Amino acid sequence: MNVEKGKICSSQLPFLIAGFVQGSALLIDFTVGITEHQTWMVILAGLIIATPVILSYVALIKRFPGMNVIQINNMVYGRFLGKAVSIYYIFFFLMTLSFNIRDVGELHVTFLMPDTPFIFFLAVFAATCAYAVTKGIEVLSRISYLFVLVGLVVPISTFILLIDQMDFSNFLPVFELPPVKLLQGVHIMLIIPFGETLVFLTIMGSLNKTGNAVKNTLVGLLIGTASLLVVAVRNTAVLGKTQSIWTATSFQSIRLIDIGTVLTRMDFLIGIAQMVLIFFKCCLFFYALTVALSQLLGLKSYLPLVLPLAGIEVIIAATVFQSPVDHAGITQNAGIIYSAPLIVIIPPLTLLVAKIRGLRKNEGGKGA
Amino acid sequence: MFGYILKKIRYSALKRKNMSHDTATDKNYNEPLLPDLEKNLDVIKSILRDSSDVTVHEFNFGHDRRYKGALVFIDNMVDKEEIHKNILKPLMYDVLLLKKDVDMDFTKIDIIRKNLISVMDSQKVTLLADLLDSLLTGTTILLVDGSKEALAVNLRKWEARSIEEPGTEAVVRGPREGFNENANVSIALIRRKIKDPDLCIEKLKIGMRTKTDVYIVYLKSVANPKLIEEIRNRIGRIKIDAILESGYIEQFIEDAPYSIFPTVSNSEKPDKVVAKILEGRAAIVVDGTPFVLIVPMLFIESFQSGEDYYARPFLASIMRIIRFLSFIISTLGPAFYVALTVFHQELIPTQLLISIAAGRERVPFPAILEAGLMLFTFDVLREAGVRLPKPVGQTIGIVGALVLGQASVEAGLISPIMVIVVSSTAIASFAVPAQTDSGTILRYIYLGLAGIAGGFGVIMGLLATLLHLSSLRSFGVPYLWPVVPFNLSGIKDVFIRMPVWTMQKRPSVIIWDNIDSIRQSPGLMPSPYKEDKDDSK
Amino acid sequence: MKKKMNILIKKSVLCFLMLFMLSGCLGGREINDLEIVIGMGVDKDENTENILVTAQIVKVGEIEKTSGSSGGGPENKAFWNVSHTGNSIFEAVRQITHKTGNRLFVSHNQAVIFGKDIALEDVQKYIDFFLRAHEMRPTALILIAENRASDVMDAKPETEILPAMNIAKLVKAYGFTSHFYKVNVKDFASCIMSATSAPIAPIVGISKDNGSKDIYVSGMAVFKNAKMVGELNQLETRGLLWVLGEVKSGVILVPSPNRQGNAVLEILKTRSKVTPEINNGKIVMNIKIKMESSLSEQTTTENLATIPAFEEIQKALEEIIRQEIMTAFDKSRELNADIFGFGEILHKKYNNVWKTIKDDWDEVYPTIKLNIEVEARIQKTDLLKKPATSNKKGK
Repeated sequence: MNVEKGKICSSQLPFLIAGFVQGSALLIDFTVGITEHQTWMVILAGLIIATPVILSYVALIKRFPGMNVIQINNMVYGRFLGKAVSIYYIFFFLMTLSFNIRDVGELHVTFLMPDTPFIFFLAVFAATCAYAVTKGIEVLSRISYLFVLVGLVVPISTFILLIDQMDFSNFLPVFELPPVKLLQGVHIMLIIPFGETLVFLTIMGSLNKTGNAVKNTLVGLLIGTASLLVVAVRNTAVLGKTQSIWTATSFQSIRLIDIGTVLTRMDFLIGIAQMVLIFFKCCLFFYALTVALSQLLGLKSYLPLVLPLAGIEVIIAATVFQSPVDHAGITQNAGIIYSAPLIVIIPPLTLLVAKIRGLRKNEGGKGA
Repeated sequence: MFGYILKKIRYSALKRKNMSHDTATDKNYNEPLLPDLEKNLDVIKSILRDSSDVTVHEFNFGHDRRYKGALVFIDNMVDKEEIHKNILKPLMYDVLLLKKDVDMDFTKIDIIRKNLISVMDSQKVTLLADLLDSLLTGTTILLVDGSKEALAVNLRKWEARSIEEPGTEAVVRGPREGFNENANVSIALIRRKIKDPDLCIEKLKIGMRTKTDVYIVYLKSVANPKLIEEIRNRIGRIKIDAILESGYIEQFIEDAPYSIFPTVSNSEKPDKVVAKILEGRAAIVVDGTPFVLIVPMLFIESFQSGEDYYARPFLASIMRIIRFLSFIISTLGPAFYVALTVFHQELIPTQLLISIAAGRERVPFPAILEAGLMLFTFDVLREAGVRLPKPVGQTIGIVGALVLGQASVEAGLISPIMVIVVSSTAIASFAVPAQTDSGTILRYIYLGLAGIAGGFGVIMGLLATLLHLSSLRSFGVPYLWPVVPFNLSGIKDVFIRMPVWTMQKRPSVIIWDNIDSIRQSPGLMPSPYKEDKDDSK
Repeated sequence: MKKKMNILIKKSVLCFLMLFMLSGCLGGREINDLEIVIGMGVDKDENTENILVTAQIVKVGEIEKTSGSSGGGPENKAFWNVSHTGNSIFEAVRQITHKTGNRLFVSHNQAVIFGKDIALEDVQKYIDFFLRAHEMRPTALILIAENRASDVMDAKPETEILPAMNIAKLVKAYGFTSHFYKVNVKDFASCIMSATSAPIAPIVGISKDNGSKDIYVSGMAVFKNAKMVGELNQLETRGLLWVLGEVKSGVILVPSPNRQGNAVLEILKTRSKVTPEINNGKIVMNIKIKMESSLSEQTTTENLATIPAFEEIQKALEEIIRQEIMTAFDKSRELNADIFGFGEILHKKYNNVWKTIKDDWDEVYPTIKLNIEVEARIQKTDLLKKPATSNKKGK
């Protein structure tokens, strides 16, 4: 039995995915420090490599419609191994979510309100996420298109406002960086915006029909990537060489907006957009986490877990790193390595095992 | 948490006990009338405890005055002249015109009714309870000795307000009539606009003591039967002693009683109510109040005014957008100001920052307190102005504006910019009357959030509001429709108002899967007369 | 169950909020507690090796008076230059709080002015704070004082109330003559980060003619390895801006065909394109410049609005522009500072060649050949078709 009873309309799936990918716009900065003016191509390469992986998630859901990843694991790997794999998933959700929540705190402490206690942001943010999760995936998916709208309108409008400060020769020479750095960049891209769509393994089970899930997923990925690209291109074109030194490139490029001395100081635009988008991403992560955990524990509803998990998240987020340097270092190196097998290997493997064992949804109805 | 649940359980148990207790003591008077006039009168008098306005008039009638009868009615609720003309005179004098040998047994109420009484609206009652019901609603009761039945003759008359222009929803263009306290008049106003056999008016009586008439009005072929069924159920489960206003009903049937947003709309204007009925909604008319409830309600309705549809679409669209902006200003204005000046001074253009700072030079309070005080003062002024008689209310306005505004700025207690912010907020808050309550509450909430955590707090508050709004439903209809979930044909009437001839369908979310969704034939876009086109025909 | 959870969550959120409400406003600062800084100057302290930071703070109360009751009185300054020494900029900035009582609020800083001694020493050391501090905005202008930054910031302008605002306004108005250029912190940092490009920054000084103390921009400082190595005068700066494509407007005097006076032309629109080329090891920069101008004044009686006259003037114009560019280039060769950013242009086109020469760019730079092509056109003659002279004289 799936703990989620709400249903998502399949036409809302592209927006869910696009909004989720856009939520990583803030996290491009991890890559920018490494790949500098070639970030745009790293984003595209990440998309291309990630697409088959993500399609394997969709295939898995289509094979087991109406089930979430924990149920699938139980069915495919059996009781004990299945639980072990599920715990790996939950650990991934838990850690990634706390990293993301930490990002929000860092953004605010660095740029907007440096005198405020860090934990305050984390707590308020997590509480709001918790509130969203209690509303259920139905509400989240219904408003998803609004988030996508924000994620498109803000980058595009700031792009237009900055167009006279752009220098497109900043993209030259096209190939300059050593392949190792590019590879590292592509790896980060593969994991951070795209690979994290792993959460949809817990969400897509609620789709009312999985008929054109593949098409919808691709459309969502394209929209999301488009807005990441706009952000990356804007930052490179505006900031040029300096883009690798800032802690938040988007903020710095927006600070350069100066049109007729009236349209200046538009930082709030990017502040709002990034807040809102990362909020959406965190909500989906939080939802995935609570659903997966409650499914694993065999609860009837995931609601009792929401508050305790929010508390745990805040504590992890507040204590996990010492500083942004620590954060960036670990995310760029260790963080993406522990999550790589989960994202790239396990779901396709699950699909393979299910195919070999000939499992489908209607055959084994044992559930969690 | 455990204690909290326990408390809840105990409370609900108590509630159930109280309810059953209440109904047990309530007398039902479900006894039949007796054939003895004296006894009947005694019973009635004792039940009504000899109230001074209950009039009992005993008389004898018939050729030889051998029948005894009595009229019972409530003074001031009946038309005495009509009673005299149509009941007493026929019984006592016109009966003499009959031939003496005509054999008529005037102890039979039916015979009296058919032969003597010249009133159309009369009913036989046999139960004491029915008799009391009719009597208390202003009907005149005719009792005859020897009959187990009584006749309830409707000759009600009392002073009522005439049809006037409603004070809350004034229009420049559009009908000026408004409902009044008499539900019959209100329903007649609706009926006069929809001359369709499908218009259904269901009557219910709610209120154990007030016995208020409540009518559900809807179009049978348009409104969703499930919706009507749901309304019936929700109204049907109301067990309360009194319904004094439609607000009572509203609070018993709304979907989200803890939400600050209303999920039931109301109106005083027949044209507005009729327009909504035609869209598939149902109106709930309550006797004793001009405010008619309409369900289901969409958030967007708060921003639509009847006049939008009477005026041409261009100005109407601009006004629509202005209303949205006003709502945003009225809820976020002070919060925005506080967040900017306390937390995000870097976002204010330099020149403006310097002039704001110059204005605040001598102000001793923090901005949040300053804003809170001003808003509080504004709300006090508004409340005082509404409750007081009109001439005094004006004085309050002058005192508020001049004395408080001017003096506090001159004394350096409040900065001039804050006065501008709060007064523009105040003006904007009147542009969307339907959301005044929620707007006022939100304004304080956002102000608090801005004072605590600046822009971050406001954004979090906005996100929570958005989530709350999109999870709200009113009678099964998503509250934010057609924005969330998105609906293309619905969006034509949200931020801008498209011409009437483009709105071919009723809102799909209200009528659900009902077949009758087309409300006008397509291709009605007006175009100038084309001669050659006609020639070719 | 769901409803219960909702209430619970609402309650806990409320508790959180209450908690923080009690702990006061979180890092908010009332606007009247701000010391709004509109300009900052960095000098070397005369006596010690320390640096002296000067911050120009707006005296908000005085602003109100000067703008409110138009009199104001000349002795009331609406700004306060407060300075302190320190080992680093940040240290000094914090020490300033000893004098102000409030932390400086630098988000509205319009200009960062380095004293000449600092510029000659090493700007790299001191620019970090202006990039890193979270309140600093990358749009703040970088300026070099002709002498000491604190003197420049003291000169009270006549129309503007605040000196730093005045300086920022002056620099931003470079387009009228194109004799200097505005450089903000981000552009400056961008040049410093390049291996070859030489940053430039406008120099502000105080002109002391007729006893008045007026701020003016005298030219551009040229940096190499973040040290100031020389100056460009106004014409050299325009030569540089022609190549950068940043000439917005300006005035060019061209001798009239009969050599009796000048045609004064206003620059309307310019475009430039630089394409690098490598011819058997020799680096050639092809510079193509297109400009449009209008005849704004003439100091001769001859009618210049004729086709032959136009052609002649245009030719002369092209030559003048070429000369301007060449003087700027000669100057940069003399200083061996790549103010044109030729290195970066080369880098973008010929990445492989670039790798081999970037380490000895100093030797390569003077050998670069310029191939300048100018296309100048006169677009209009403004209100007149011909000059107002008597017919008999002008034949």
